[in-house]
Amino acid sequence: MNEFDIVVGLEVHVQLETASKIFCSCSTRFENPPNSNICPVCCGYPGVLPVFNRKALELALRVSLALGCQLNKKIYFERKNYFYPDLPKNYQISQYKMPLGENGRIDLLSGSTVRIARVHLEEDAGKLVHREQHSLVDFNRTGIPLLEIVSHPDINSPGQAYEYLNALKLILQYIGASECDMEKGSLRCDANISLKRKEETKLGTKVELKNMNSFKGVRDALEYEAGRQEASILKNEQIFQETRLWDADNSRTEVMRSKEEAHDYRYFPEPDLLDFTVEESLIELQRHSIPELPLAKRRRFLQTYRLSDNEIDTIISDAWLSDFFEQSCRIFAKPDRISNWLLGPFLEQVNLLPDTFDGVKISPQNFAKIVQYFSEDKLNNLAAKKTLALSVATNRDIDEIITQENLIQVSGQEELSSFVAEAIQEGAKAVKEYLEGKEQAIMFLVGMVMKKTKGKANPKVVRQLLEESLKK
Amino acid sequence: MVDLISYSGTAIARAIKGNSSTRDSVYAFFAARAKKLNRSLNSFVEIYDEPVCGDGVSSLAGVPIAIKDNICLKGKKITCASKILSSHVSVYDATVVARLKKAGLAIIGTANMDEFAFGSSTENSCYGPAKNPWDTSRVPGGSSGGSAAIVAARLAPFALGSDTGGSIRQPAAFCGVVGLKPSYGRVSRYGLVAFGSSLDQIGPLTTNFIDCAHLLNIISGFDEHDSTSASVTVPDFSAALVEDVDNLKIGIPKEYYASTLAKDVKDAIGEVIAFFKKRGAQVIDITLPHTEYAVATYYIIGSSEASSNLQRFDGIKYGSRQTGNCLRDIYTHTRAQGFGSEAKRRIFLGTYSLSSGYYDAYYVRALKVRRLIKNDFDEAFKTVDVILTPTSPTPAFKIGEKTDPLSMYLSDIYTISANLAGIPAVSFPCGFTKDKLPIGAQLIGKDFDEATLIRAGYTFQCATDYHTQIPKIAYE
Repeated sequence: MNEFDIVVGLEVHVQLETASKIFCSCSTRFENPPNSNICPVCCGYPGVLPVFNRKALELALRVSLALGCQLNKKIYFERKNYFYPDLPKNYQISQYKMPLGENGRIDLLSGSTVRIARVHLEEDAGKLVHREQHSLVDFNRTGIPLLEIVSHPDINSPGQAYEYLNALKLILQYIGASECDMEKGSLRCDANISLKRKEETKLGTKVELKNMNSFKGVRDALEYEAGRQEASILKNEQIFQETRLWDADNSRTEVMRSKEEAHDYRYFPEPDLLDFTVEESLIELQRHSIPELPLAKRRRFLQTYRLSDNEIDTIISDAWLSDFFEQSCRIFAKPDRISNWLLGPFLEQVNLLPDTFDGVKISPQNFAKIVQYFSEDKLNNLAAKKTLALSVATNRDIDEIITQENLIQVSGQEELSSFVAEAIQEGAKAVKEYLEGKEQAIMFLVGMVMKKTKGKANPKVVRQLLEESLKK
Repeated sequence: MVDLISYSGTAIARAIKGNSSTRDSVYAFFAARAKKLNRSLNSFVEIYDEPVCGDGVSSLAGVPIAIKDNICLKGKKITCASKILSSHVSVYDATVVARLKKAGLAIIGTANMDEFAFGSSTENSCYGPAKNPWDTSRVPGGSSGGSAAIVAARLAPFALGSDTGGSIRQPAAFCGVVGLKPSYGRVSRYGLVAFGSSLDQIGPLTTNFIDCAHLLNIISGFDEHDSTSASVTVPDFSAALVEDVDNLKIGIPKEYYASTLAKDVKDAIGEVIAFFKKRGAQVIDITLPHTEYAVATYYIIGSSEASSNLQRFDGIKYGSRQTGNCLRDIYTHTRAQGFGSEAKRRIFLGTYSLSSGYYDAYYVRALKVRRLIKNDFDEAFKTVDVILTPTSPTPAFKIGEKTDPLSMYLSDIYTISANLAGIPAVSFPCGFTKDKLPIGAQLIGKDFDEATLIRAGYTFQCATDYHTQIPKIAYE
């Protein structure tokens, strides 16, 4: 690819996290059975009218602001007309001439910036299910609020596209605008890609790629398509302006339709919705509801907490997790210990919960207390993990758990010496091996003491006592 | 019971006064008339054996009312007089229907109309043309021709129509009844099958202004299901039922009195003007200079919106579906066979106007002219309170007489501007031709000032008997 520059622009559709659809009051729940979240309005029955869901506007404003867009304060919808069975009215209510946001940007960790051309609101279409002899339509998704986020063709590699998508997803999750789950269809991405020779200023013919089901799929499809186009150009073959589908199973793209069949969408102002101007107060409210964004948070964490890049990336990959981390650090100011326990035992426990993060009840105060007790030898590793297991989904009082379960670590010589003596007596074989120079054998004796104390003994102290006794 | 046909709807409601057996016999009386006379008039699409009514109480409870076949009534067929919807049963109530039910009116059936409200004669109906009760060889006007004929022949005291370019007022004039198009946003459009979304309004057809005021009270008001409905206070329109035009400033736009105006109509309007003068109104000559562009503007905007609104009728979800080898075939066969020729003409016209390359020259330009027409009215209403014009340049024409679409379009020349401007207008009976065909006068008002229209119309009505005359067929 040395001779060519890759030029990529991405069109991302995200589902805004509203409880009801954009123009009716139907639920947006993903799990419901086909055609259960429907009403005359989203099914386009004769005589129905759309009513705009203000919650979708709030989230769309928040996204536009978080991406640094200039806002068009006049909200103005248009109809995009085309016939397709998944589109009950055979037009989609969308924004064309005046998108909500324009001229935004996303700064990437690698130092580059991708400019955002436009951010606009629209309604989703339904889903077609094709059978052998017929097709079925599911209208549950029809009317789900979507935000289309279109980048400038600033992306110059498949890897950068991947980075852009991850950065965008993180921002949207931070501001609570979208789940961004490609599997559930709450984020979809189409890509435009062309190649040009390095010395050339004019862009090449672009090809649109569709049907990618993951960020990795986007990267792979771009990788394949760049290779295909390069090979064609080198063979002096023409690149056609067309739409190609990514076939993930066979790792290649195939022609879907050529641009000659392009639609005239006959956009015109949606007469069923009156224009209105967004109140300044709503814009300010949304501006203030934007938390510290991922990139800024990452910089601050690096300075404040002195953790590895990997640890920080994992912690900030989730807004809730990073908040939990910071609050825990405020209680027990050992970030490395908090981070170890958070990314290790805590995430392990969370993954065991049926509803993962949603099931977490433990407060940062209680979590920090467990880490602190462990660090201060009040709880050994096993006991601390058990305490965590008992409190993660309940937020039970830590001290109460420790007392009730009798988990406080025993570190006193007096309490432990009789157990140590017993172990030496009963573990004659291990004692012999140890004295013959096989140091590892002492662990067997430590284990015996742990068993006798039901896991409460401080293993370090036990080992020390054993070593002292055996030296005599 | 024969007397009932000379009763107003309000008088019938007073007679019923919550008595269910009286209510039932009133309904039976009108349902029987409707069934009998529909054979000659073809004004109903469907007549219900049992009324559809809520148990609400109001000054009009129990009064039978017909609704145009483009207004949704849950569980009943709604077809817009189109083959493409001929089997469609509505799954919900239009907001106006919910309000009628809440007020206890008795819905008697659906009224014939031009397919999807495209027309001025009710000839473009898949059920065949409706007839004018004053002369069954003539059209009742359209597109709410069925509604106007039903009220004129006293098959029901009330009807609802819809008006996109004159579809309530022109048939009201042709049939000799009162038909009011409210201000855009006064009455919810939720449940009205859309033709031109920015122009459509539902309104009452009645024999007189007292009924008009009471019925308008019931159907008006903001509706959360219609974003274009206006959140403004609705006055009690019955309070406008006073004989008082003293010092009322009535504008006479010179553009509406062209040489094409039929002499009978011109003379009748002249008498209305003389009446108002005599009663103390000031009659002022005004100009609405962009009037000549109204018809062209209307047909571009209305058809553009209609072409998009009618896309949903594709045979996939409801309505009739034709077979085909592929999706495209299903669409084209369904729509080619389901739509009548006028519907197709409007779809073509609208699709063309919105196409890239033509959009600016047609649709965008039409929007600009629409603004100029609105400005004309704003300017006029600085000096006058209402504007008086004929409703239609001619009385009812013969069925089959107008074969050229353009000459049909021109029969709405005086009514279209009020829709483009979004302002209220009413047609009321003001005379008869020498052949005993009704003539209608139109009053156009300021935005949301239906009350002044009702007051002026009521004053005229109190001094005249045109509204009490009943076509002979009603006694058959």
